[in-house]
Amino acid sequence: MNDRTNDSNRSGGVDRRTFLKRAGAAGAGAVIGRHLSAPDLAAAQDATFKPDPAAKRGGTLRYGVHTAPVHFDVHQSGTVANIGAQAPMYDLLIRRDPRDGQTIIPDLAQRWEIAPDGRKYTFHLRRGVKFHDGADFTAEDVKATYEKLVNPPKGVVSPRTPLFSAVSDIVVLDPHKIEFRLKEARPKAFMLGSFASGWNIIVRKKTLDEHQGNLRQVMNYPGTGPFRHVSRKDKEVWIMERNPNYWNKGLPYVDKLEVYHMPPFSPELGSSLLTGKLDYGRLLDPVSWRKAKETPGMTAADFNQSVVQFVCMNNKKPPLGDVRVRRAMHLALDRHALVDVVKDVAPMLIGGFVYPFHEMSTPQAELISKRLGYQKDMKPAVQEAKKLMAEAGHAGGIKNLTFLVRDAATFKLWAVAIQAMLKETLNIETNLKTVQISQWFEDAAAGNFDLGISAIVSSIMDPSDYFTAWYGKDGPQNYSNWTNPGFHDLARQIERELDDNRRKTMVRQAEDILEKDPPILPISYEKINDAWHNKVRGQNPSTHFGIYDTERWDNAWLAS
Amino acid sequence: MRKYLLRRALFGLSTLLGVSLIVFVVLRILPGDPLVAMFGIEGFAKLAPADRAHIMEDLGLSDPLPVQYVRWMRDIASGSLGRSFFRGDKVSELILHRGPISAEIGLLSVLISWLIGLPIGILSAFRPNGLPDNVARTLSVLFLAIPGFWLGMLIVLAALFWFNYKAPLIVVQLWQDPWTNLQLVIGPALVLGLGQGAYIARMSRSCLLEVIHEDYVRTARAKGLKEALVVMRHALPNALLPVVTLSGILMGFVLGGSVAVEQAFGVPGLGRSLVVAVIERDTIVVQNLVLLYSVIFVFVNVAVDLSYALLDPRIRYQ
Repeated sequence: MNDRTNDSNRSGGVDRRTFLKRAGAAGAGAVIGRHLSAPDLAAAQDATFKPDPAAKRGGTLRYGVHTAPVHFDVHQSGTVANIGAQAPMYDLLIRRDPRDGQTIIPDLAQRWEIAPDGRKYTFHLRRGVKFHDGADFTAEDVKATYEKLVNPPKGVVSPRTPLFSAVSDIVVLDPHKIEFRLKEARPKAFMLGSFASGWNIIVRKKTLDEHQGNLRQVMNYPGTGPFRHVSRKDKEVWIMERNPNYWNKGLPYVDKLEVYHMPPFSPELGSSLLTGKLDYGRLLDPVSWRKAKETPGMTAADFNQSVVQFVCMNNKKPPLGDVRVRRAMHLALDRHALVDVVKDVAPMLIGGFVYPFHEMSTPQAELISKRLGYQKDMKPAVQEAKKLMAEAGHAGGIKNLTFLVRDAATFKLWAVAIQAMLKETLNIETNLKTVQISQWFEDAAAGNFDLGISAIVSSIMDPSDYFTAWYGKDGPQNYSNWTNPGFHDLARQIERELDDNRRKTMVRQAEDILEKDPPILPISYEKINDAWHNKVRGQNPSTHFGIYDTERWDNAWLAS
Repeated sequence: MRKYLLRRALFGLSTLLGVSLIVFVVLRILPGDPLVAMFGIEGFAKLAPADRAHIMEDLGLSDPLPVQYVRWMRDIASGSLGRSFFRGDKVSELILHRGPISAEIGLLSVLISWLIGLPIGILSAFRPNGLPDNVARTLSVLFLAIPGFWLGMLIVLAALFWFNYKAPLIVVQLWQDPWTNLQLVIGPALVLGLGQGAYIARMSRSCLLEVIHEDYVRTARAKGLKEALVVMRHALPNALLPVVTLSGILMGFVLGGSVAVEQAFGVPGLGRSLVVAVIERDTIVVQNLVLLYSVIFVFVNVAVDLSYALLDPRIRYQ
């Protein structure tokens, strides 16, 4: 993590120490609640995000993030194009604290209880909350929203369905109390993380009924969030105004929010921020980000994102079904060089098969210093790789592998570098086939490749989410068609294990299996570069995990 | 004249019909799935085959191709041009909103190309092989060789690093705020105009070099006319015909070039909309914009043909 400000006179901003004090006070309930051994106690009783009396009010915040959404249904989306532009108009049941981006605090649910056996989550909803169209918010709206997420109607896609696969019933107990009943218990961190996922915005039952749950072409559907829709110019800007009836009195601070749609990592976004046409820019290219960092009156921060960059290997095509060949290729990648190759295009972090910044993974420092394939000194890894290739009967190398490359700057740079690494170390010859993103997924799904380079995201950071999706047998993003019965059994146990310590041990075991029998070649994990002019206060994502859960802007204010 | 116009209109229509068929078919046989843009990587990966089929049906992409084509033609006839099948926005509204910006860029670039190209061409022709001619020819070759989008990026970066300047982020129409509007269009127009200006300069130079050796120019000079009058009244009008023809052809380059140049400058014009629509595989938007560009190209060519009569009274249309 890295953040820095050049404004020495900054007042009212939240530095790390102040943040920790405030988070300690406001989030204590939530943190304690999460770590209490008696799981039936209510968590986060008073940890609702409260307005800062020192914050200034008014003004227009101009925010640049991602290209425009291609449709308007946040529940059906998988891109920040929707979250970035629309999330400020909606609330969640529970949320990540905007100050640290991690602690789970109340949102529309004022408090919640978890049954001792972990099979019942009861949420007590706020009273007096109104949608932007004036309608009252009730448990029926929560039920309708989650019914859509858990059991999407025909023609509606819910990428987050796997998060709630254990939910059997959603029961409205009274207009302000709702219960989620589970077929079998899931780890609390997993379930609460799923409820706090930024994609799961609460929408009116009436809205969903009117459109049969499909909001892809409904631009302005009412939410309860801190901002409400004013106007939208397609592919240019989405303008929102402060919701005067917001339930969290005193929030938001700014009167108007303008979300500008700009391609991520583009010079256009960077130049708009640096010239002051934007107050805050997200997903900046490294060059503009470094320039912002050096510019007086600006602050730059980077933080981790739930995206892995990888090479998949088609296990159905020999010799890639051979574990020794896959492991040899895994060891032959110089990941430090690969991160360096794209340093001016996109910020990256070296990691293995589990998010390197997650509490359950092998710490990154240990990975880089001790584990073969991640060290700076490539000699031991290459020696081992050559030995494995010889054992597999490919000491002389492999010829004519089709390497499917997504047409994007990072992938094209990496593909050439990986092609050279495989040729030099293992005499593996590949033919690059560069295609547009949509074609890449078609080819990958049809198995028209030997190697493929791309990136995939997970909804939440918890390993159970992506152990199923990326590495699971028939997992939707298991492009390698990889199977390992030992791993699949262990993943199922991890999914059901309620004890955090035991779970962590099992995740480390899973990591070991993945290292020995790689389903993919992990290249690196994406980082997010944000920068802003110092007049923007209250928002610092340095400690955030990903961008999907924290797009709300109710915490930001303008100093001038 | 009426017969000629009718014939040209029919030719134009048949050209457009051909273009519409080619665009329509090509967009549907090209590989790539619009659902990736729609649901993102994660969402697409988790789509069940039945969901995919249902959504494609919803979007109207499962219908037989003739049905889809007839639907498009009906949308054109109704003036709505159909809707973006993702967001449901009307394509006609997109064109009305962004079209004026692209039109300004196109017209301004033609104006710039004439303002730059013609004086340089005249200077070169009347002082051939001198220093100004050599400089002009070198520059024109340079601007012919430099791709517009690259020059555009250089201008954007120079404006940023030297003047900390960036053009406005959203569409501002000429009638709303002329100064802001000018900031939006001037960069792309300049880049496109410089490229075209190089062609105009070379063409006008060579045409003038031919004309100034004609008897009537010599006679004009022998009458004692001032050089400026010789050029403006006698030489130039006779040399302009190929230059006007070239301008018409170059309009096609402007339309094509504006796609890349608008992207380089980040100007929210139709060219940029086309790029985004291609990336998103928003077939309805792409097919309408390509057809619109074809309509403009055909129209400009007819207008160029008609202008011959104005420039050369000997020409008659039958």
